[in-house]
Amino acid sequence: MTSPTAQVREQGADPRGTPGHPVRGINHMAFPTFDPAGTIHFYRDVLGLPLVQTMQVKAWGPEYQRDFVHFFFDIGNADCLAFFYYFGQESYTDENLPPLLDLGRHVALHVDTLEDLDGLQKRIEDAGLKLDMRVMHETVESIYVRELTAADAVDAEVTAQALLDVLASDGEPTLDALWARKAELITSRARAAQGER
Amino acid sequence: MTTLYFLDAAEFTDVSAVAAAQPGARVERLPGYVAVTSDGPIVVDRRATGVRHAVWYSALAAVGDGRVVQYDKDALKVEPIL
Repeated sequence: MTSPTAQVREQGADPRGTPGHPVRGINHMAFPTFDPAGTIHFYRDVLGLPLVQTMQVKAWGPEYQRDFVHFFFDIGNADCLAFFYYFGQESYTDENLPPLLDLGRHVALHVDTLEDLDGLQKRIEDAGLKLDMRVMHETVESIYVRELTAADAVDAEVTAQALLDVLASDGEPTLDALWARKAELITSRARAAQGER
Repeated sequence: MTTLYFLDAAEFTDVSAVAAAQPGARVERLPGYVAVTSDGPIVVDRRATGVRHAVWYSALAAVGDGRVVQYDKDALKVEPIL
């Protein structure tokens, strides 16, 4: 998490970046996760980033492909941080990864003010997680498409709940189990909505 | 009886429409979803939907009381769990 320091704010840098090219930031970055429950907990519950879209996808294409859930957290500016969870894929850690490569690969989320940075730091610490460090750099201080519709937001919530339920159950987590659990959640939500009318 | 749920979004309209056009299929709109129910198997021909692979393979949102027995480049077929 990064906030511009007073120095940069006083320089009045154009928040749209330098002119001369059409790129406007990152629409989304995507990473695999082997612990989707932990990922959802950290980004949605600890940081408070809304889960705005999910897709459950049947494997197609190359033979190594697996059924997967692709889910997107809102990180502002209509940009997203996205993850893939592949059903049945064993967790993988590259034990031989040189430390510098590990340190050099990271995502920095932007917040406008140091107060916002403080707020996120508090959320992380309140959740019992350890903050590695807080550093004042030269220009920043840091702690270390598509159109979304209302239906997407509802589906993201339902899919996340179904995925967490499937992962917590005794059965094997599969796309079939996710589809079945989602159907139960959709029908119970529809019944509840009818009852409210 | 089995029910297929599709996200009620423009990109999946052609898929849910082909599923709903099957004889004996019933369509219900739920908040956020289109639900297609049939007493027998539901078969959706991918080419009839006209959608590309990325949309096709992410079109199925949920399955009630059914088992997906085919989901490939040709068709999606779901049979009721008896």
